Amino acid sequence: MAAITIPAAEDIVGPTPGQRLRKRIIGHRGVMIGAVILAIIVLMALLAPLLAPHDPYTQNLGNRIVPPVWTDGGSWVHPLGTDGLGRDYLSRLMYGAQISLFIGFATALISGVIGTVMGVAAGYFGGRVDLVVTFLITCRLSMPVILVSLAVVALVGSSLTVVVMVLGVLLWDRYAVVMRSATMQVRSLDYVAAASAAGCSTWRILVSEILPNVMNPLIVVATLEVAHAVLLEAALSFLGLGVQPPLPSWGLMISEGKDYLLFEAWLITIPGICLFALLLAINLLGDGVRDVTAPENRS
Amino acid sequence: MLIYTLKRLVVALLVALTISLISFGLLYLSGDPATTIAGESANQAAIEAIREQYGFNRPLYEQYFAWVGRALQGDFGTSFYFKVPVTDLIFERLPVTLGLGLSAIAFAIVLSIPLGVLAARYPNSIVDRLALTISVMGQAMPSFWFALLLIMVFSFMYPLLPSSGSETWVHFIMPTVVLGYYATPAIMRLTRTGMLEVLGADYIRTARAKGLRPRVVLFKHALRNAIIPVVSLSAVQLGFMLGGSIVVETIFALHGTGYLAWESIRRYDLPTVQAILLVFSLIYIVLTFLADLLNAWLDPRIRVG
Amino acid sequence: MTKGHISKIRYLALAGAAAAALCFGAPTAQAGKADDTLNIAWDVEVPNANMYFDTSRNGVIIAHHVWDALVWRDPATGDFKPALATAWNVVNDKTIELEIRQGVKFHNGDPMTADDVVYTYNYLAQPDNGILNRNFSNWIAKAEKVGDNKVRITAKDTTPLMMLYITELGIYPEKYYKEVGPDGMGLKPVGTGPYKITAVEPGKRLEFEAFADYYDSPKGKPSIKKIVQRTIPEMNTQVVELASGRLDWIWRVPQDQAERLEKSGRVQIINADTFRVGYLALNAAGGPEDSPLRKQKVRQAINHAIDVEGIVKNLVRGSSQVIHSACYPEQFGCTDDVKKYPYDPAKAKALLAEAGYPNGFNTTLYAYRDRPQNEAMLSNLAAVGIKADLRYGQYAATRDALRKGEVPIASLTWGSNSVPDVDAILPIFFGGLPDDLAKDTEVQGWLKDAASTLDQDKRKALYKQALQKIAEQAYWVPTFTYTTNYAISNTLDFKPTADEIPRFWTAKWK
Repeated sequence: MAAITIPAAEDIVGPTPGQRLRKRIIGHRGVMIGAVILAIIVLMALLAPLLAPHDPYTQNLGNRIVPPVWTDGGSWVHPLGTDGLGRDYLSRLMYGAQISLFIGFATALISGVIGTVMGVAAGYFGGRVDLVVTFLITCRLSMPVILVSLAVVALVGSSLTVVVMVLGVLLWDRYAVVMRSATMQVRSLDYVAAASAAGCSTWRILVSEILPNVMNPLIVVATLEVAHAVLLEAALSFLGLGVQPPLPSWGLMISEGKDYLLFEAWLITIPGICLFALLLAINLLGDGVRDVTAPENRS
Repeated sequence: MLIYTLKRLVVALLVALTISLISFGLLYLSGDPATTIAGESANQAAIEAIREQYGFNRPLYEQYFAWVGRALQGDFGTSFYFKVPVTDLIFERLPVTLGLGLSAIAFAIVLSIPLGVLAARYPNSIVDRLALTISVMGQAMPSFWFALLLIMVFSFMYPLLPSSGSETWVHFIMPTVVLGYYATPAIMRLTRTGMLEVLGADYIRTARAKGLRPRVVLFKHALRNAIIPVVSLSAVQLGFMLGGSIVVETIFALHGTGYLAWESIRRYDLPTVQAILLVFSLIYIVLTFLADLLNAWLDPRIRVG
Repeated sequence: MTKGHISKIRYLALAGAAAAALCFGAPTAQAGKADDTLNIAWDVEVPNANMYFDTSRNGVIIAHHVWDALVWRDPATGDFKPALATAWNVVNDKTIELEIRQGVKFHNGDPMTADDVVYTYNYLAQPDNGILNRNFSNWIAKAEKVGDNKVRITAKDTTPLMMLYITELGIYPEKYYKEVGPDGMGLKPVGTGPYKITAVEPGKRLEFEAFADYYDSPKGKPSIKKIVQRTIPEMNTQVVELASGRLDWIWRVPQDQAERLEKSGRVQIINADTFRVGYLALNAAGGPEDSPLRKQKVRQAINHAIDVEGIVKNLVRGSSQVIHSACYPEQFGCTDDVKKYPYDPAKAKALLAEAGYPNGFNTTLYAYRDRPQNEAMLSNLAAVGIKADLRYGQYAATRDALRKGEVPIASLTWGSNSVPDVDAILPIFFGGLPDDLAKDTEVQGWLKDAASTLDQDKRKALYKQALQKIAEQAYWVPTFTYTTNYAISNTLDFKPTADEIPRFWTAKWK
C-alpha cells in the first residue's frame, strides 16, 4: 500500500469514514491509473459522434488499407488509416468503444442481477436454498463458458443481443459465490438480528440491511466481470461468432484485422492495444477497489 | 474421510447429470441437423433419408434417454461428420489437449509460485511490482491476440518456432506460453496472499527467532502451508484451460479436443459437441473432486471439520 | 503439519511432468523438395478418404488422385480420353457400352476387371447405399457385363451429361470393398489412381505416395513421390508455415495477403479463375404477400444498386470477372447476351419509387462467407434506401431457411461441382427444386426440355431463353466469378485449373 499520511489537523478531529476512503482511493496508484484510462475510453465512446473525424460505416473501396499517419503514405485525413473496406479506422475505434463497453456493462448487469439474487438468497436463507444455489454454482463452474457460448451463439445465430444475453446468463457464478459468503457474514451481525427481532419484513431486511453491506464486494466482482465479458466477446468475435458487422466492436476489429497480421500489423495491433488498455484499466480498478475497501487483503 | 468422499461423489454425479441435460438441450436449439450432415451438394431425398436414419423425427425426450443410456456405456453415438464413433474421436485427440493443459499449468506454476513467494517476502519491492505487472497484464491480454503476436514475431519475423502441428515438444512452446500465461495471474496472486498470511503467523516468527536461515523459513516452513489452496486452484485452472484450448488449438493447428469442439460447432456435428461438452465438464468435476480430496489429505482440518 | 506434505506435492508434480513428456513424443525431420515430399495444407478437416462419402471439395480432390474413372476429361481441351475404358460406344439416348482396359492394378495389387466396373456402377445405382455424393450417379439405372471386357451402362432417362458424369465416377475394387465396407475404405482407401494413400488420420493428416504400378494413363505418371496433407485452420498460420518452408502448397489465400506475400519474394502466387460464381438470390415468389421482392422493379433496382464492378476492382481483384447471367461464363450453355444492369444508384432509386418504395424498405441479407464483399453490398443497398440487416451464419442454416422461404435476400455462391455445363447450376436454382425461389414455370419447362435432349444446339437455345428471362425478371443479382490464390514454394512447378481441383500428379520440383 502506498503510505497514507494523515495530516495532524485531521488527526485531532478524526476523518469520517468517507474521507478516509477518498484518501485511500487517491493514494492508490492502481486505482488512479485504471480510472484515468477507463475515463478516457468512456469519454471516447460517449463523445464518438462529436470527435470521430468520419462516419464509421462509410466505405470507400478506392481508399482501402491506408496506413496510419506515422508511417509512409499516412495522412492526417485518416490518423489511424483505413480498414479493408476503406472505413476510417479512428472513427471505427471510437464507435467500437461504445459497443465493447456496452457489451461489458450490459453483460455484467444481467449476470450481476442473476448472481446477486442467487448469492444473497443462499447466504440469507441458508438451508435448502443454499444447497440448491451451491449446486447450481457447481454446475455452472463445470461448464466451459467459451464452449457453451460458442455452441449457443452458433446455433441461435449471432448478434449483439444474443451475445449479451448468452454471456449474461453464463457469467453469474462469481457474483453468486461472493454474494453468498458476504451475505452470510453480514447476516450474523447484530443489527440484522435486531432488525429481524423488530419485526421487519424479510424483503426490507434484504434491501435495506443486507444489500448496502455487501455493496463493496459486489462492485469489485462487477468490475472484474465487465472485463471478463469484454474479453469473451472479443474471443467470440475472433472466432466469427460475436457481434455482426458493420458494428465495430473491438473484438470484431481484431478479427477483421487478422487477415493483415503479417503485413499490416497495425490493423490488428491498434484495436488489440485498445482492448488491452480497457481490460487493464478495469482490472486495475477492480483490484484497487478491493484493496481500498478491504485494505486487510493487501499487506 | 470416507463420508466426506461419498458426499462429494454424490454431488459430482448430480452435476454430471445436469450437464448432460444441458448439453443435450443444445440439440433442441439447433433445429434440424439433417441438411448439415448431407452436405452442400446433397438433394432433398438424401436429406429425408438422413432424418429417418438418425431419428431426428422422434420426440426430443426419447432421443435424450436413448442418448444418456448409450453415453453411460461410453457410446456417444457417431459423428455426423467423420462417421466414426465420437468416443474414438475424442480419445484420439484428448492426449494433445491434456498434454497442452498440463504443460501450460506447469509453465504457470513455475512462473508464478517463485514470483509469488518472492513478492510476498519483499512486499512493494521491484520483484513485487514485477509480479503485479505480469499478473495484471495476464488478465488483460486476449489470448488469441497474444498467440497471433507470438506467431508474427517468432515464426514469421524471426523463424525460430513452428507455428502449427503437434509433432514435437518444440511445437508446444508457443501454445504452452499462451495458455499458461492465462492461468498465471490467479495462481500468482493466491501464492502471494497465502504467503503474506503465513509469514505473519506465529510459528514463522518463532522459526526466524530460532535463527533458521531465511531461505529455509521461506520455502520449508511458509510455502508448505501457503501452497495448499494453490494446489486446488491449479486443478481448477487446469479445468478452465480446456475451454481456453479452443482458441489456442485453432490458431496453432493442434488437433486436440478444443479444436475438434470448435470445428464440430461450425459443422453442426452435434453428437461430437454434446460429448465434448460433457467430457470437459466431467474432467473439471473429477479435477475439483480430486483437488478437494487432496486438500483434505494435506490438511486434516478439512476432513475433520 | 508434517514434513511429508511437500514430498507428496513433489511426487505429483513429477508424475504430471512425466505424463506431459509422454504426450509429446520425439522430434521428427522436416520435409520438402529435399526428400521429394510435397507438403500441403487445407483449412477444413477431411472426414474420411472414401470419395462417395465426402461431398466437400477436398473429397473431390482426393478422389481424382486415388481413383481413376472409365473416361478422363482433359481439363485443358474438354476432350474425353480413354482411362480405365479403352473405347466406348453410345448405343442410344440411354445406353453406353465400354471396353475395359486390361492389365490395370489396384493399389492393393488386385487386377481391375469388368466385374469391378459393373459392381461399382450397380452399387452407385442402389438407392439405399447411403452415399452422400449423388450428383454424378443419380442417373444410373444399371450396369451389366456384355463380354469378357465389355460393360453396358444404362441410364434411367436421357442424360445429356452422361459422359461428363462417367469421368467423375471412380472405380472401386469389388472384392476389397465388400470386405472392408465404406468405413474401411475411408481409412484404407484402394483405387487405381496415380497416388495411393498410405496413411489416414481423420481430420488431421493424409499421406499419399506415387503409385509405382500406375498404368499408362492419359493423366500421366506422377513426378513427386510423396504428398503430405495437414489441416491448418488459421490462414495466418498456413502462410507462416509456407514462408518458413514447412509447407510447399496452400490455396485460397485472401487477395490482400497474396499480393503482399508475392512482393516479399518468399513464395510464388498464382491467381486462377474457378467455376464458382457469386450471386444474390432474391425471394421473388415467396415470403409475405406484400414483400417488396415480389416486384420485378424492386429486383431490378437491387441489380442497379450493387456496384459489382467496384467490388471486383477494389476488393476481389485477381482475375475475377463481373458476370451478368446466372452461370459461369465458360460453362456450356452460358451466355452473356442478357439484359444487363449497370451500377446506377439514381436509376435504382427511380425504380424503387415506381414500385411504390420511394424511401426504400428494411430487409435482411443472409450470408455465409466473404464478409468484406457482403459488407460492401450492404452499404450499396443502404445508399438507395434499402436497409438490410446482415445475418451471417453457417451455409447449411442459411440454405435451410432459404428453402423454407424465410430468406428475403441471400448472398450465396455456387461452384457447379466443377461441371462445365449449365446443367450443373440452372436446374438446381430455377428448375423447381427446393432452392428454386423464382418458381417460374416457363423457365422450369425450358430447363426440363433442355435436360431431355442430346441435341446440343437445341439445349443451348433453351438455356439462352431461360437465362434471358432470369435476367429480365431479375431473379438473381449475378455478381462475379471467384478466383483462388495459390501460394506455393519457389521450388515447386504447379499449374492450377479452373475447376478447383489441384492435380498434384502434374506437379514437379523445379
